[in-house]
Amino acid sequence: MTLLITLIGCLVFAVVAPVVGCLIAGVDRIISARMQGRVGPPLLQPYYDVRKLLEKENVSVNGVENIYIVCALVFTIIAGGIFFSGGNLLLCVFVITLSSMFFIIAAYSARSPYAEVGANRETLQVMAYEPMVLFMAVGLYLGAQTFDVRGIFALDVPIIASTWLIFIGLLFVLTIKLRKSPFDLSMSHHAHQEIVRGVTTEMSGPTLARVEIMHWCENVLFLGWVGMFFVWGNPLSILLAIAVIVVVYFLEIWIDNNFARMKWQFMLKSAWIVALVTGGINIAFVVFL
Amino acid sequence: MAFASKSPWVIHYDGSSCNGCDIEVLATLCPGFDGERFGVINTGNPKHADIFLVTGSINEQNIEVVRQIYDQMVEPKVVVACGICACTGGIFHDCYNVLGGVDKAIPVDVYAPGCAVRPEALIDAIVQGIAVLDEKSAALEQKKKEGVA
Amino acid sequence: MAFIAFLIIFPLVAAAALALFHSESARRVIVLVAGFVIAIVSIAFIVVALPAFGGRLILIEFDSEIIDHIGTGITVLIAVVVLYFAWRYKNFWAGIIATIQVVLALVVETLFAHELDVPFGLYFDGLSLLMTFIIGVIGSGICIYAIGYMEDFQAHEPKGARDRRPMFFSLMFVFLSAMYVIVFSNNLIWLFTGWEVTTLCSFLLIGFTRTEEAIRNAFRQIIMNMAGGIGFAIALYCCTAWLHTASLVEFIAYGSMAAPGAAVVAVFLAFAGITKAAQMPFQTWLLGAMVAPTPTSALLHSSTMVKAGVFLLVKLAPVFAACEVPSIMVMLVGGITFMLCSFMAISQSNGKRVLAYSTIANLGLITACAGVGTPEAVWAACFLILFHALAKSLLFMCVGTAEHHIGSRDIEDMDLLFDRMPRLARIMMLGIMGMFIAPFGMLVAKWATLVSFVDTGEVALILILGFGSAATFMFWAKWLGKLAGIAGSPENVELTVHKSEWGTLLLMAVLLIVACVLLPLISLVIVEPYVASVYGALGQDITSDNLWIASICVVFVVVVLFGSFGSPRTRRVKVYLAGVGEDHDARTFRNSLSGITTATARNWYMEDFFGESRVAPIGVWASTIVMAVAAILAFVGVGFGVTPLM
Repeated sequence: MTLLITLIGCLVFAVVAPVVGCLIAGVDRIISARMQGRVGPPLLQPYYDVRKLLEKENVSVNGVENIYIVCALVFTIIAGGIFFSGGNLLLCVFVITLSSMFFIIAAYSARSPYAEVGANRETLQVMAYEPMVLFMAVGLYLGAQTFDVRGIFALDVPIIASTWLIFIGLLFVLTIKLRKSPFDLSMSHHAHQEIVRGVTTEMSGPTLARVEIMHWCENVLFLGWVGMFFVWGNPLSILLAIAVIVVVYFLEIWIDNNFARMKWQFMLKSAWIVALVTGGINIAFVVFL
Repeated sequence: MAFASKSPWVIHYDGSSCNGCDIEVLATLCPGFDGERFGVINTGNPKHADIFLVTGSINEQNIEVVRQIYDQMVEPKVVVACGICACTGGIFHDCYNVLGGVDKAIPVDVYAPGCAVRPEALIDAIVQGIAVLDEKSAALEQKKKEGVA
Repeated sequence: MAFIAFLIIFPLVAAAALALFHSESARRVIVLVAGFVIAIVSIAFIVVALPAFGGRLILIEFDSEIIDHIGTGITVLIAVVVLYFAWRYKNFWAGIIATIQVVLALVVETLFAHELDVPFGLYFDGLSLLMTFIIGVIGSGICIYAIGYMEDFQAHEPKGARDRRPMFFSLMFVFLSAMYVIVFSNNLIWLFTGWEVTTLCSFLLIGFTRTEEAIRNAFRQIIMNMAGGIGFAIALYCCTAWLHTASLVEFIAYGSMAAPGAAVVAVFLAFAGITKAAQMPFQTWLLGAMVAPTPTSALLHSSTMVKAGVFLLVKLAPVFAACEVPSIMVMLVGGITFMLCSFMAISQSNGKRVLAYSTIANLGLITACAGVGTPEAVWAACFLILFHALAKSLLFMCVGTAEHHIGSRDIEDMDLLFDRMPRLARIMMLGIMGMFIAPFGMLVAKWATLVSFVDTGEVALILILGFGSAATFMFWAKWLGKLAGIAGSPENVELTVHKSEWGTLLLMAVLLIVACVLLPLISLVIVEPYVASVYGALGQDITSDNLWIASICVVFVVVVLFGSFGSPRTRRVKVYLAGVGEDHDARTFRNSLSGITTATARNWYMEDFFGESRVAPIGVWASTIVMAVAAILAFVGVGFGVTPLM
């Protein structure tokens, strides 16, 4: 039964997430432009970009990186399907990590110096945010007594009530996951010139389009994680969750536009310290008190 | 409809110029002219770019570089020669090491003269380039279909 | 019964035959046949035993004076051998420790254990069967792999070097036999004998090359493990003197009722297990064991030796669930080891050292699970043991084969392996993925581990697991990336790989995949019944639907990895080198002065953060203090008026 629900979840996510993610990306670019005193592109600009990339000639450095990227995309969609169909959050976290790994291998396989720098940095980013993401799943368990996301609909109070520290920690690593400055080491939106765009250096045309789509889907999934903290038995709470997501995303854009990129040392240290402090204190508090 | 025209990503290469045109190219993307209104993004990687903006003339040293950047761009692609030096060699045309305009190295689709080239002229040139891009895109689509058939 | 006797005795016969027949062809036949027979009998045993008994505990009535005496004889013999080597290489400490140990062991065996009859000398249950599979199939697979490997190894040796291969293969089979003794003995004295035999065998195997480094590391191994043996002997003494039993099963029963004195026994048995499983502060012996030929490493790391350590710890899990002091000790030592060794693995570029640290780290996780001692944790520990054995043996054999063909075991030199040894690289990638990434079994086990930690509210372990897993991702992913690189078509150097090596590699790869895909089934048939028989409760929180989702993902990944690569439809282009590339495959480009520059990229090792010299002392001291405090507390617990059980 769970299998069937998950399958349906994946299919729905595969259709809905790119649309939502594309719109979010469009809004992101407009708001960023306004923050910089510009008019900015049309709302559908990300969609145009991807369509253009799909129209371009399909070339590759070695014939395998596009296969890896397809894998990464598929696993992102599976992770999203698992999450939004109310499945096991830990499984969702692990599958999205698998997707990151394929993305990293795609970059490594090209054996380009720039892509390798990007891949190394991406690996480091995964290492930086992974503890906090696991603690987030633990937070769900502490709040809802289950790792199944659907468990939150049976609650009387949202899990944020007992896990607000973990939520703050999640917000911190969200900047890394959404590839926002100051932690956009491996692949950034704005400075397109940065190490000729890190992980995606050797990806072009349709392959790059898939990376973009994957990124949209990821963003939707991560914002879903944020929303998860604010949902409980009351159906109206979903509206609250969406409102929180809007605020959080605006905050991320604001941070993105106001901070210069940090060094990797700072990212690793700060992300781990935040995870240790917020995750550790929060989990200890719930367990012992 | 071809989407190439809606999202022209550019790559900028400076040949042997006085840097005047380079400043104008970057100014085009700044808030004053905001090239992103038309989807223009300045990429650093030929593999991501659709339009190649070359400033400055071609000389013995950079001809290979320009050729390689052009080769690494993925079809469909358009070349815009920005500024008079890139068009013909400009005031450097009889310099001992200068070969001439960009067309000495690669096929150029749009010439945008000026010393330095003004952002308005540059946006005009990019828009013209977009039209060429659309044509090439349609041709590529045609080729793809024939390839399948 | 017949099966168990056969599994214990047959490898010994094979070992004797190998020691007698020195010719190349005879050895090949004996190893091949013996390996196959052991594997087939092991599987047959599992197939026969499982439907008949489920995973329940089955005691077998078997007691024999003669075997007791043989055991004592072996203990003395081991001491004599160690003393001989200690004398020959002037190693003072090894001699002292061996003497202490043999005296202690003899005292316990003759004075205390002698009156205690253990009518049910042998037993088996789900965990033993799982171990039977690991020892029988993986262990003998490694022996077969060694045939081809050792041929190359001998060829790389200087001319005229003594051919010690007969001894090598004999020891490998003795090892298997000793492992069977460990997993089937209910009589703790017999178990102790098997325990010491594995110590001695690995001593001789590590010192195989007789180089200075090999001898130094071999002595380090023997000192640490003999210290563990002393711990075992003390545990035996306490167990026989206070609890009046020399039966493992009875001890576990007493222990899970938190019988007085059981905590002390558990602390010392756990200490023995911790030394054998190379947990901090004893991690250095396993790192030193790298000097041995690769099949030895594969055997030590995957199916034998260290697995004996964690086997004992997992066996004792119910005791830990009841007794707080040993439980906390084992959890902390395991947890600290897992996290810090994962960190240190990042800073290593030697492939075998990375594997070694990863082994120690994973054993740490298993140890921590055993320390938690709940049904969920034991479920996770069983799968960690299984998948670790599969993936790690596969990886060691891959590195060994690669080393012989590319001339290095440094990860940086494995650049372009995907081109140079396409099949091997893919198998290696499979092994690496099997070690750390969803949806492979190892990660499912880690998942269950996390669930069990959360269930029991072990905050420290949750944090440790979080950070340790992140580090695990880092060091595996960068290795994986190094393997995945593709450029041009360098010469394929894997055509000369021996058939026996391919055979075993493929077998392990297939086993790994099958085990991952059938994980829900293995859980249902072996592990769950075992957990249920120990605790009377089912032990896992992960619904089987989720497990099947993971299985589907495994199939998908494997298809991608081994499926059609390099579709010819896309046009090939060169990599971007920012300027004029000269030779894109070699990553050379023309620089601004018209000279040629080669772009090089190395992985990150982050010495400043995760260097051995920074991290190791923390773990060594922390673990030592934890164990010392635990031992004191356990004795204090006994001192507080708990009279020994009559």
